[in-house]
Amino acid sequence: MAIITSDKPAAGTDLPHVQVLVDRCAGCQECVVRCPVGALDMDPGRWVVLADDERCVGCRQCVRTCPFSAIEVTGPALAGSRATTEVVHPEPLLADVQEIRRGLGSWEDALAEAQRCLSCPDPTCMRGCPAHNDIPGFIAAIAERDLAKAHEVLRRTSVLPDVCSRVCNQAAQCEGACTWSLAGETPVAIGQLERFVADTYAVPPPEPAADAGLSVGVVGAGPGGIGAAWALVEGGASVTVYERDPVPGGLLGWGIPDFTLPDAVASRPWRQLEEAGVELHCGVEIDAAGLEQLLSSHDAVVVATGASVPVRLPIPGADLEGVTDATTFLKTARAALEAGDGVRAWRATMGLDAMGGSGRAPHVLVLGAGNTAMDVARTARRLGLGATCVDWLDERFSLARPDELAEARDEGVDVRFSRTVSRVEGDGQRVRRALLAPTRQEQADRLPTVLHGEAPDTLDVDLVVMAMGYRVDPAVAGVLPGTPVRREARGLADRRWAASGVLANRASAFAYHNPVGKLALGREVGLQAASLPVRERLWVVGDALVGPATVVEAMAQGRRAAGALLAARPNRPGREESGRYRRALVCYASEGGRTAQVARTIGEELTDKGLSVRVLPIERVGPAELAAADLLVVGSWVKGLVVAKVGPPPAVRAWLDELPRLGGMPVAVFCTFGVDPRSTLADMAAALERRGARVVATSALRRGGNKVAAVAFARRILAGVRELSAVPASVGAR
Amino acid sequence: MAVDLQDRKSAAQGDPVSAAVRLRPAKRAGLEERFAATDPEPGLEVTRNPRVARLMRNRKFQFLLILPNQIVFWTVIFVGVLGTAIPGLNFGAAITWYVWFCLVFVMMVVVGRAWCAMCPFGGFAEWVQRRTFFRRTQKALGLGRKFPEPLARLGFLIPVVSFLVLTWIEEFFNIAGPGNPADTSWMVVGIVSSALIFFLVFERRTFCRYVCPLTTLIGTVGSMGSVAGFRTKDREVCLSCKTKDCMRGGEQGYGCPWYTWPGSADSNLSCGLCTECFKSCPEGNVGLFLQRPLTSVVAPRRRRADVAWGIAILWGLVVFQQFNATNAYASLDSWLNRGMLLPHYPNPVDYVGIIALVSLLYAGIAWLFSRGLGRRDVVETHLDSFADRTSRFRAFFVPMSYGLIPVMGADYFARQLPKFFKHSARVVPAVAHIAGFSSAQSPIYGFHILSDGWIVVVQVAVIVAGTAAAAWATWRIAGRELVPVSRNALGVRLATLGVVLSCGAAASVLYVLMHAAS
Repeated sequence: MAIITSDKPAAGTDLPHVQVLVDRCAGCQECVVRCPVGALDMDPGRWVVLADDERCVGCRQCVRTCPFSAIEVTGPALAGSRATTEVVHPEPLLADVQEIRRGLGSWEDALAEAQRCLSCPDPTCMRGCPAHNDIPGFIAAIAERDLAKAHEVLRRTSVLPDVCSRVCNQAAQCEGACTWSLAGETPVAIGQLERFVADTYAVPPPEPAADAGLSVGVVGAGPGGIGAAWALVEGGASVTVYERDPVPGGLLGWGIPDFTLPDAVASRPWRQLEEAGVELHCGVEIDAAGLEQLLSSHDAVVVATGASVPVRLPIPGADLEGVTDATTFLKTARAALEAGDGVRAWRATMGLDAMGGSGRAPHVLVLGAGNTAMDVARTARRLGLGATCVDWLDERFSLARPDELAEARDEGVDVRFSRTVSRVEGDGQRVRRALLAPTRQEQADRLPTVLHGEAPDTLDVDLVVMAMGYRVDPAVAGVLPGTPVRREARGLADRRWAASGVLANRASAFAYHNPVGKLALGREVGLQAASLPVRERLWVVGDALVGPATVVEAMAQGRRAAGALLAARPNRPGREESGRYRRALVCYASEGGRTAQVARTIGEELTDKGLSVRVLPIERVGPAELAAADLLVVGSWVKGLVVAKVGPPPAVRAWLDELPRLGGMPVAVFCTFGVDPRSTLADMAAALERRGARVVATSALRRGGNKVAAVAFARRILAGVRELSAVPASVGAR
Repeated sequence: MAVDLQDRKSAAQGDPVSAAVRLRPAKRAGLEERFAATDPEPGLEVTRNPRVARLMRNRKFQFLLILPNQIVFWTVIFVGVLGTAIPGLNFGAAITWYVWFCLVFVMMVVVGRAWCAMCPFGGFAEWVQRRTFFRRTQKALGLGRKFPEPLARLGFLIPVVSFLVLTWIEEFFNIAGPGNPADTSWMVVGIVSSALIFFLVFERRTFCRYVCPLTTLIGTVGSMGSVAGFRTKDREVCLSCKTKDCMRGGEQGYGCPWYTWPGSADSNLSCGLCTECFKSCPEGNVGLFLQRPLTSVVAPRRRRADVAWGIAILWGLVVFQQFNATNAYASLDSWLNRGMLLPHYPNPVDYVGIIALVSLLYAGIAWLFSRGLGRRDVVETHLDSFADRTSRFRAFFVPMSYGLIPVMGADYFARQLPKFFKHSARVVPAVAHIAGFSSAQSPIYGFHILSDGWIVVVQVAVIVAGTAAAAWATWRIAGRELVPVSRNALGVRLATLGVVLSCGAAASVLYVLMHAAS
């Protein structure tokens, strides 16, 4: 008798052990196809998964991806040790803006760290990365010692590897979503490896394509504008950028201090873009009228104006002299620090020379403890000021990056949580002290309450900086319909995301308990929204689209919008059409198959007339599908009891309500009905028009009606779409 | 890992994530042989009919199946407690014991888990768990725990134990007699409450899959049925599917509540016919299929020891239920009760003892066959999974138990026939009695569809039919699964055939003896 196998763990081993729960394992192989190390196979007789403990590294990818929770892993995760990098604080701090975070010291360190990457077949890290960098791909290139290839991999999705590797909060993004992190271990140092690539091998410049006859205006030269301009110039477009500030870069230039993002790194993208032929006009403010003018002089416009208005707390004393905002502070402080001996002059300008009696340094109070507040406080320390940050959130639920918080405290910043400024008081017109009221916050998703019954602390201050973040200029938002978009995924998450396992687990301690999957899905909403114009020929990206967000999101959205723009190839009025490639999307909601059949017939007819057509059920139509269409046809069955509650079914209503802005897209609407469609068509058309679509044809088709009616409707659609008149006769004559 | 730079660059522009996902290829070795015998023919797909497909896609479909049963069983609960104490006139007792149990068996034999699709107990608890009657909601009510693995490994054995316990309670309190109708109500309340607790503590249909007293019986007897359940239309599509919405849940449907994947289902044993996979599959690659009767008994390659033991124990229980009507049993039970100071039938010792004796006798015969006829080089595996370990004994016992399903099922069905033929007409006056008229004097109340003599004839005929089906199934199973592990091919086929024929004969004789005793 032969004993062929056993699934019991070997005694005395300190290795991971995989237990397949064979009663629940259905042999779907979701774990097998995703196991990074090939430790899982199929038992062909029982059709359940077999595990090889010898190969298992304990990453728990299988546990996260099994649809039936039929696999368990016990024992350690063999994650290895993460490479450590130094943070060097200058001594003394005054006027020293050297970058304090060091990169990986050597090739050996980089190779050792690269070896920790499992090259997951379904990499959750790249879902966590807002730009969706192919992280296993570029790390594999590092392991092959081929940094040119690493750059090539990164270049598919990012043009700012040097910037993003310095300023991204990787713990809530790629590294928080690393499979090791999801398994509760320390993730691969993705940010450090990306920085190693960018610092060791020069970031390659854009490669302009041949002139495609497309003129695009980009408003704003921050990360969103950089991403858009880069992709557009590589797509052959003629790009003109209009920037309000005297120098390009937006937030990269004035918002992030040199000790985090050195000026040489921040200015690199624009040096390369200008060399590639991007026309840059700085000091040009584009208002609503200017935007209309740009639309008439360019084929398309990308707005990337960011969120530039500082949020100010309406507290008593906010109008005193010496109360300012983060933008003013950072811009003037940057100029002062760059000027070498400008610190004294800056202090004089800010009225701080006579301050700080009793021999103490002047003291700045920073409202907020997020990234901006940390930047302000640490810059203040470099200007020779004492600094205190107050945040009404509990430290456990703070928005500050723990590494930045630690660095700030190391530099002498006094950070106080669970405190808010109830008022500031002055001597005459000059601010002198602030009253800090205690607050209490019990849960992360609840706002703190101010404890009015307790006595506030008094803090002597010489300058108050409001650094609670920024918001989009209402004047800008007013002319950009549908903005800002809320970065919040609603409804059922994308099933591919669910299948990857990135949503399955709470984040590890490394990710500071950020729900990385949920955050990533929210960012995905912004990325998808960027692919659709908010008005005809007008795309919006970055903070102007989604409100205050991150550098990498803005850059990724800029690239996404540019890609959609290049595919759509819009033309400004009066300019001769150049045979634009027409793409139609026919989407339908069908209960019994009849509406689907009509949709297919319409699709066939449109195809026959030379259009590129996709026919999809509405549940499979999202922003990506809409962005890849120039013409939308929407069809639905009619719900109701002959005369009662007749109209589009709830799923169609919900889908229409959830649609992104359609930016003037021509839309045709049809329904199939049995007795009377009543207001079905009008309801659907009104909903589409509310989303910015232009309805060009409608038709109610009787259920069981013949194919001829559907074909006739398709022809009416073609006739009704104004743009289609420019389709060359040779295409439409078939 | 080498990075392919050429073919991914353009894809990365559109969907960078998809471009960088490099899933390993799914394993396909042995796939063909594994499912060749169990995959239904494409022509037997019921959902090819657009009307049927439309019905199945409608989220209200299962709700409308459950709703009538829900109304009936809440009526049972209230009428059982508040109505007359005369069992035959009480709607709760009459509908449950004269009609329902018999109809459930008919559904099992023909359709499989049809009852599970319309079950008001699990259905009610599922409404609460999902917080909706029929919509696709995203957040479940309750803790959503996994069933503890040590218990889950026992597969279909826990439901068998719960069925034995429930049956003993039913016999002890004479609930199904039927005795006091209120007892029927409390039993139903108990089942609904248990279901609700399990649905609120555990995920999906853990109760139905691992605990429900009827699940093993319905699953095994239902495997004789002609409905294969929801299966894949094209396995390649399922294997390459990147979302597995049928398991995780999709836009239109929930993930399979029964932990069954249409892509690998090889029998209808664990398909609750709830239509969720059909609704959720974004590719439309799932269909409802018919199959030839007994296919799910004969054809599956994976035999499970928990199912085999479940069949043997259920066989022991039904034999007990026949034997308990004989004079010999009455004497034994009385003797034991006197000694143990228990008030009345059934004494737990003889209850468990007879069931264990019969099931172990069946297992013992299999053990003898394995020693006498089996080859010595049978592969033995020491797996944690109780269901999948293999040994020389299991190589005989497990397939032989599957062959017994038709006899066992027929026996349970035949056992219900007397109540149906003699008293099912009482449901009419019982319904009228809810409205306050009708009585035990009603001519319908005393109407018997068949006389006692004819009932025995029908019972024996049912057993004969079941035995014939079992003989056919056993012959096929033995030919495919026992011959390779036996030294004597014909001998093992004849021997196993002899066992099921003997079981059928024993059941028939017991019905005659029961009739004689009454």
